[in-house]
Amino acid sequence: MCSKILTLSNVLSRPMQLFFKPNATSNLKPNINVTSVACVSFFNKLPAEKLWKSVTSVSNAGAKKGRGKGAGRIRIRDLNRGQVIGTGKVNMLWPGLSAPVIRGRELLKQQKLPDDPERMEKLIKIRDSMTKFRRLKLSSIERGWSGSRMPGRSIGPPDPIGEDEFIGFDTKVLQLRSLLIMKGNLGRTRNYQAMVVTGNGQGLAGFGLGKAKEAPAALRKAKNRAGQKLMHFEIYNGHTIFHDFFTAFGKTKIFVQKKNEGYGLKCHRAIREICQAIGIKDIRAKLEGSNNLQHIVKAFFIGLLQQRTHKQLAEEKKLHLVEYRAENEYYPKVVASPTEVRTKDQIPRDETLHFVQYVMNDKVILRKKKFPPFYEKMPHYKIYLKKYEKYRNHEKIRQMLKVEYGDVKSFLNERFPEEKVEQSET
Amino acid sequence: MSLLLQKIATKHVKTLIIKYEPCVLVISNRKLNIVPSFYDGEQDPAPKFFTPNVQNLLKRLTRPDFTKVFRKRNNQGLHALKTPKYKFLTKEELELEIAKANEKADVLLQIPPVLKIHKPIDEVLSRDPALIGYDTSKYLFTDITFGIANEERIIIERDTDGTLRSCDHDIRKKLNQVYFPITGRKIREPHMFSDEEKFHNLLDRGEYEFVLDRACIQYEPDEPIFQKITSITYQHVDNNKCYNTLRSTRHFGSMTFYLTWHQSIDNLMLEIIQSGFIREAVLLAALRHDVHNDVREGTAAQSLAQEIFTTPLLLSKLERLTEEDIQLDSKCIQCIEKYIVSNSTIKSQHELALQGFKEDFQHLSELRKGLEKAHGNV
Repeated sequence: MCSKILTLSNVLSRPMQLFFKPNATSNLKPNINVTSVACVSFFNKLPAEKLWKSVTSVSNAGAKKGRGKGAGRIRIRDLNRGQVIGTGKVNMLWPGLSAPVIRGRELLKQQKLPDDPERMEKLIKIRDSMTKFRRLKLSSIERGWSGSRMPGRSIGPPDPIGEDEFIGFDTKVLQLRSLLIMKGNLGRTRNYQAMVVTGNGQGLAGFGLGKAKEAPAALRKAKNRAGQKLMHFEIYNGHTIFHDFFTAFGKTKIFVQKKNEGYGLKCHRAIREICQAIGIKDIRAKLEGSNNLQHIVKAFFIGLLQQRTHKQLAEEKKLHLVEYRAENEYYPKVVASPTEVRTKDQIPRDETLHFVQYVMNDKVILRKKKFPPFYEKMPHYKIYLKKYEKYRNHEKIRQMLKVEYGDVKSFLNERFPEEKVEQSET
Repeated sequence: MSLLLQKIATKHVKTLIIKYEPCVLVISNRKLNIVPSFYDGEQDPAPKFFTPNVQNLLKRLTRPDFTKVFRKRNNQGLHALKTPKYKFLTKEELELEIAKANEKADVLLQIPPVLKIHKPIDEVLSRDPALIGYDTSKYLFTDITFGIANEERIIIERDTDGTLRSCDHDIRKKLNQVYFPITGRKIREPHMFSDEEKFHNLLDRGEYEFVLDRACIQYEPDEPIFQKITSITYQHVDNNKCYNTLRSTRHFGSMTFYLTWHQSIDNLMLEIIQSGFIREAVLLAALRHDVHNDVREGTAAQSLAQEIFTTPLLLSKLERLTEEDIQLDSKCIQCIEKYIVSNSTIKSQHELALQGFKEDFQHLSELRKGLEKAHGNV
């Protein structure tokens, strides 16, 4: 406001001077001609809102094409922010406006103060802070697969149906995307599609697909749908699947392998979320072909459903199924026995007896030969090997010394105590 | 302060209070008051121990549970578990595999030998006075020819006074370990055996199997220190009645033999009767008769033991009894009754335990009769 007054006075003073100057020179008749001057420009004709709109708005057609978004987008700034009445470019003291009229027993006078060089910088900083786009900051526990986006994030259990609550369930978003669909009267409209998986971590899980005009609605629909389509999966020893399997949906192929306890989930992130929902803790899965997420989810669920328990396998084969574990010195543990067992003569010669081959339906995984790393043929590698050969047992020796003497030292330390002192000084 | 200390001390039985005015002195009696005993008498335990009958009795008394024999251990050298392997097997193949596993179990359950303490070697081969003052240190000579057993290897020393003699056991062991190292054996004695505080700490924590396993690797069975360590451990187990920690391991046989040899099987017998394994009690009586020949009706126990060997091994109490079981068990009860009268030193406790077993047995046999009647077989 103050600056406006200042500028106004500037604008007014110049024509006034023009009028007064010749009079001052003639100094004869007080002939005063007053002409009104209107300082009108594009910038003070319209309010700030309209001015900003003219800069930032995008036409309807343009918006549909996606204009006015992204890096070059102009955002509305409030230029009044950070400005105080009574202070401006010229640092003036205005008693009664920017300072009290009486300070102590002294009557303050209007006067110019030394310029504040940082004022403009501060203003620009405040204005810039308005334009920068700030993302929603999430804690590392809430965060999904990437940033603050929905995929990978938890959205709680499905809504209760009547009095039946989903206790112990948790839902994870696997996919949330916008789709454009054509409508007869509206033309192209935006729809959101969400895929989620829900499960209690104890064998019950289901996935759901939901579509809606808004993202939260799509998520809710998908979540509740997943809650309606629960499936039960048996988990072997509470940590893994019953056997290796191959599964496919469309062009997506997955090779899933049973693993030991403590191996973890080494697989696609969507498969990992599904496993966590079901309660599987150790598997390895290799994806081949298309990595369409919905296909991955469907293929994996189909594969899990097609698993056969050990009892079923033994019954199918009419043979004992025996487990060998390295930690149990390969003691043959019978995990399942059929009601009647075939003898050796009853087994045809060309029957698949290899367990993995049988459960993979005779599908053989291509295991590529691992070539040695490129540097092993280079001369520097040989130098490295020669150089570090003498250190190869040092770690073991250090450990032994610590066991024996409680420190890295030897019998020589006792014979030459002065050496030890020197070492500690340096 | 002194009152508090006194209170704490009186609560712990193992602490001793010496009280005199004006201060109270509390001495912690952390050291165990177990006196180690050795196989060092007139009699040599080895011939008795190695007879097949005694071996069979000891193996049967071990009560090997294969889930414990083949359990996961920390010293297997697996830094991570491996994915299990599966096989489809016919009945014959499965039997073969189980037979192989039984052989492996026999190796795992091989009882460490019980031997008399060795005599020191003091054999002078020659004296050469011309070599006196030749050098300031001894010379040791080892025959490192491939294929000779460690016990038969020629290891001799030339003293500074020119005497050529065979080395004693400790030097032999050290040199053998230098030239032909046994994995797990250390040239210097491990702290857990040399430091009494650490050793007792291990025993208090009940790490008996670890102590015994390591002693087996570190020492020879005829070394005095081996027998000292094992005897303290066995007595600790016996005092605390932690027999189940050693069952299904290779050390249970040695412990049973040790207790039998030193006439202190009463606690073990009590535990066996209390847990309802009356047949094992008969086996233990038979073992005692085999070793000391001091059990009245001992031959009856021995013949009963032969009968028991034909029945399958039991890992837990029977829920249902067959006719044969009832006959065998009633014979066993009679045998044990006689044993208690003639040989037990804690008769009342043994009788009480046997009474408990009898009641249980009566109940089960009546159930059997009732079932027979219900099925119309009587």
